[in-house]
Amino acid sequence: MTAKPIRLTFIVILLAFLVTMPLWASRYAVNVGLLVCLYVTLASMWNLLAGYSGMVSLGQQMFIGLGGYTLAVSSMYFGVPVYLSVLFGGFISVFLAVLISVSVFRMKGVYFAIGTWVIAEALGICFSNWGYVKYGMGMFIQPAYKLSMSGVYYAGLILCVSSVALVFLLLRSNLGLALMAIRDDDQASETLGVNIFRCKFICFLLSAFITGLAAGVLYLNAIFIQPFEAFGISWTVNLLFIVIIGGIGTVEGPILGAIIFVLLQQFLSEYVGYNLIIFGGITIGVIFFAPRGLVGTLQMKTGWELFPVRRQ
Amino acid sequence: MIEYLEPLINGILLGGLYGVVGIGLSMVFGIMRQVNLAHGELMILSSYLSLVFLQVLGLHPLVTLILVAPLMFFIGYLIQILLFNRVMQRGMEPFLMISFGLSIIIQNALLLIFTPDARSLETAMVIKGVDVFGLFNIPLIYLVNFTVGALVLTALHQFMKRTYMGWAINASADNETAAKLMGINVNKVYAYALGIAAVTAAISGVLVGMSFTFYPHSGTQYLIIAFGVVIIGGLGSLPGTFLGGLVLGVSQLFGGRILGPGFQLLSGYIILLIILTVRPQGILGGR
Repeated sequence: MTAKPIRLTFIVILLAFLVTMPLWASRYAVNVGLLVCLYVTLASMWNLLAGYSGMVSLGQQMFIGLGGYTLAVSSMYFGVPVYLSVLFGGFISVFLAVLISVSVFRMKGVYFAIGTWVIAEALGICFSNWGYVKYGMGMFIQPAYKLSMSGVYYAGLILCVSSVALVFLLLRSNLGLALMAIRDDDQASETLGVNIFRCKFICFLLSAFITGLAAGVLYLNAIFIQPFEAFGISWTVNLLFIVIIGGIGTVEGPILGAIIFVLLQQFLSEYVGYNLIIFGGITIGVIFFAPRGLVGTLQMKTGWELFPVRRQ
Repeated sequence: MIEYLEPLINGILLGGLYGVVGIGLSMVFGIMRQVNLAHGELMILSSYLSLVFLQVLGLHPLVTLILVAPLMFFIGYLIQILLFNRVMQRGMEPFLMISFGLSIIIQNALLLIFTPDARSLETAMVIKGVDVFGLFNIPLIYLVNFTVGALVLTALHQFMKRTYMGWAINASADNETAAKLMGINVNKVYAYALGIAAVTAAISGVLVGMSFTFYPHSGTQYLIIAFGVVIIGGLGSLPGTFLGGLVLGVSQLFGGRILGPGFQLLSGYIILLIILTVRPQGILGGR
């Protein structure tokens, strides 16, 4: 039980650091903090699918693109307040998730991965041929100019904290127990009365909703949206990188992974051309030498977890 | 009716090319039960290698294959020995990630060396056409693509059925433990398999380079086409791959003709999604 106060103190200090950041840090640092928060959110949602529900999706960018475009369209064409538009983006993403679930839930493993990727690519083509959203030229989200940096940062921070908390609480709930049972042995768990479809469906919708929201905040910061960038596979590649180096199937993995990823990205941005080669090299290295990711390997050696989801 | 004959015939010819694009991915899946996300990059790497030989030695692109194919076999062999064989027993994700890492590395190395400019392997074949009953023209290059594609698929089929290495590959795919007990060096067999897959990537890379322009990041686009072909036909089935190529090629060109050129890729994806939904294991794929 002695581990509990340490954990709590650690979390409180971390939160205090993040909440006060806009007060003392430079604009650049806050921007980096925002990116970390958003990548933690996105990666946690991918981890919820791939690490806990056995659904390795390569199509998270469909929700990112849709969230961004919903924000752009509803705030510019309909004059809806920006943060409400971000919320709409989440709902539209859920709507898409429900729509495609008829199809993708028939696919398993590799087929699921490729099916989701193809849907995202198809959406990218649709948006780049759609005059309403200005074809492939992209849209400037003008209402986002007026927002203050710290406002956007807090939106990102709220998303980040609530998504980590959500994953943590979800895994401690009955649903989490069912998910881990499915991951370990789907046939045995189904025999014992776990409704596999229902569990996976809930995770899929949750992941779509929060990814759509995070995408909205992301584009509040980026201001410019373009179909092939928004629906590009590189989003999911980044998430894969974050979760794999952090540790797949752990709550802390995406957090550590996102911090490393964003810092590396900032640091390597001077070395254009080499940065992605280094990313590729690191990915291969981590898989060889720390197969369970940094957090997973650390947990195996020390047994200490920041967010224990197992029951004692 | 006659106006739809042209996209039909061109689609079938394009499908022959798509068949070779997909075959390497299909082989690796059929033999190792793994997905090689670097396949598209191996293709484009071959296109650039061919370009180098073409510029340095002044050879015809098809002739450069004499050099590019063995080189790619060697590269494939090394990739399997040094990288893939180490994670074969650890499920799907590590293999996916390693091949992903490899694809990022190849793509960006190509970008550094060759700059992001569009390149092509220029030949006279692109301009020449074959007249069909005075109705329309078929680009000569499409005929070459289809012929080479059909030859490669047939040769591979015969190789797998008739040679000792083909049997060893099939045996390792069917039952790894039993193959090992029979004295087959499974790791080496897998290395040969990836080498052969890389040779098909070399052939498709050169054909693609002759037919279209390519960039360092074109690999992703062809990886999706390869996935499309392989999924429509059924992962791991050789005849299915050819059929998958034809279905994808025809549906793309019909979609382009009916909906407009911007929707050419989209119509291929839609056919792919319908098949994935209705028959997730592909048209000719087993369970």
